[in-house]
Amino acid sequence: MLFAFLLAPIAVVAVTSFSTTGAVAVPPPGLSTRWYEALLASARWQRAALNSLIAAGGTTLLATVAGTAAALAVNGLDDRREAVVLGLTVLPLLVPGVVLGVSLLVFLGEFGLQQTYLAVVAAHSLWATPLAFSVVRASLSRFDPRLREAALDLGASRPRAFVEVVAPNVRSGLFAAALIAFVVSLQEFVMTLFVSGPDTRTVPVLAWNSLRGSVDPIVSVVSTLLVVTVVLVVAVGAVVAGLERFATDT
Amino acid sequence: MRHDRHRGGGVTGVVDLDGVRVEYDDVVAVEELSVAVRDGELFCLLGPSGCGKTTTLRTIAGFETPTAGRVALDGTPVTGRPPYERDCATVFQDWALFPNKSVLENVAFGPKMTGVSASERRERARERLATVEMSEYADTRPSALSGGQKQRVALARALAVDPDVLLLDEPLSNLDKRLRETMQLEIKRIQERLETPMLYVTHDQDEAFTLADRIGIMNDGRLVQVGAPGAVYDDPVNRFVESFLGSTNFVEGRVVESATGGGPEGRVDVEFPALDVVAGVPAARSLSAGDGVIASARPETIDLAPATEGAASTDGGTASRPGSESDGDDGVPDAVRLVGTVSEVVHRGSTVRQYVTVGDGVDLFVERPATRAANVAAGERVRLSWDASDCYYFGPDDRRVRV
Repeated sequence: MLFAFLLAPIAVVAVTSFSTTGAVAVPPPGLSTRWYEALLASARWQRAALNSLIAAGGTTLLATVAGTAAALAVNGLDDRREAVVLGLTVLPLLVPGVVLGVSLLVFLGEFGLQQTYLAVVAAHSLWATPLAFSVVRASLSRFDPRLREAALDLGASRPRAFVEVVAPNVRSGLFAAALIAFVVSLQEFVMTLFVSGPDTRTVPVLAWNSLRGSVDPIVSVVSTLLVVTVVLVVAVGAVVAGLERFATDT
Repeated sequence: MRHDRHRGGGVTGVVDLDGVRVEYDDVVAVEELSVAVRDGELFCLLGPSGCGKTTTLRTIAGFETPTAGRVALDGTPVTGRPPYERDCATVFQDWALFPNKSVLENVAFGPKMTGVSASERRERARERLATVEMSEYADTRPSALSGGQKQRVALARALAVDPDVLLLDEPLSNLDKRLRETMQLEIKRIQERLETPMLYVTHDQDEAFTLADRIGIMNDGRLVQVGAPGAVYDDPVNRFVESFLGSTNFVEGRVVESATGGGPEGRVDVEFPALDVVAGVPAARSLSAGDGVIASARPETIDLAPATEGAASTDGGTASRPGSESDGDDGVPDAVRLVGTVSEVVHRGSTVRQYVTVGDGVDLFVERPATRAANVAAGERVRLSWDASDCYYFGPDDRRVRV
């Protein structure tokens, strides 16, 4: 019941995206795909979708690499130091997005980086990296460190040992971290609002801009597509991870 | 290959440890350890768990950095070098086979890292798999192998890099007894054929005695004694070695009369209160009256016979004159004779152990091959006797008392 109540707005949005009229009404007077067609025709929205993908791609790469590097480094620490590092890494998640957004705007402005893709990726990574870090760390804690030692012992350098032995054995963890980073970036709004510009605006920011003037049914369409995309990405991830577990268990 | 390299002055082995000390935080794991493994030999580091033997091995492999001392492999100093710059290979206790690679890829991993071409390293891997009789499993995943098979693959993988020395960290401790014994002989056979020097870490003295050309016994981070298995067994340097190499009977005693106190040269009289016995002990003049002494009477040196009617009717222990043998001038006998009651008879497969309660409630045990054990049952009265000179004696500092 609770879930039904909480999920109801999404259903409303999905239904209205197929409405024939521009006003948000439930039930809609008639069903059509005219707003979907309008979206496909809109250069603004296409640009925003591309920006979202670029930001998500960049965030996935940066957050996964940084998160993995941090997880590897923490792996070698003793418990007390590890606890300190863990506390530090979750810090960005505890700071309100508005505060981070403003701070980033000021900070990046110093380097003339505001409104660039780099700014958006940096902002998203601030949230995605701690999440990627904890996922990879959990994965590494189940990894037998002797395997890495065996690789080093047989002549593999540290990067080589990671590529040959560590990464293949924590594959699902790396994959999950990348997936989370991707989704975080795709739906992040508050920080992006501050650091993005007209050319780097992502889908959620454009949706908000469009809604400021009047109710725009295209926003319903975009929201629906965004939800569908996230659900699809997560579903694909779950299936792949499941298959992997199945494969390693047998 | 391994002989081309120049050897520094004073270097004696393929592995040289010189005053090595390893600390973790506040704990000293290895202390003042110096040892040389000779070319072609199988050297066993033997000791109880936590004695620092695995740390020693890991220091040689490069996984631990000594806080003091030097490590050299085949004459080349390697003290600060990472594992991948050392020409040694490790067989881990839990084998550490790469689960994401096939058996053949596992064995070919070392050559791959040194840049050997794909076809050549596959060939070399096949060769090594043949050495350990695992050829037909080349394309199997490690997870599908049994413990013994994993062990063989781990051995092949380490051998595939043609190491200067092979380091084995309790490689058989996860196998059952029968398989372990088979693999011990297998490893010895491979070692003799390839002449690869091996440093083998184990806590199992039977394993060490089966395998080793030389044994190094460790305790509390220190190397206590080094020597051939037989030499170490016959000549333990202290009480720890004596207790670790096999079960024995320790009896506490006290010097009642030192050699300078009128006894013959190199002989002291020792009283064993628990047995109510005084015996003449051949010992150095290092002992003086009042010193504590611990005697080790090994179970195979004690004679056991049923107590026949009429003979030695006294209860408890008696030290009687052993006839015409060379007694001390003071009349203290050179042999210990006791009467006791069998408390338990334990059949241990090929041998039989008989526990006998004597004197002040002390339990001693005798061990004989099953075919030669005296036929006595629990509750029977028996005589025990041994020559005082067959025992090992340890002084107040636990060091062996030398004659």
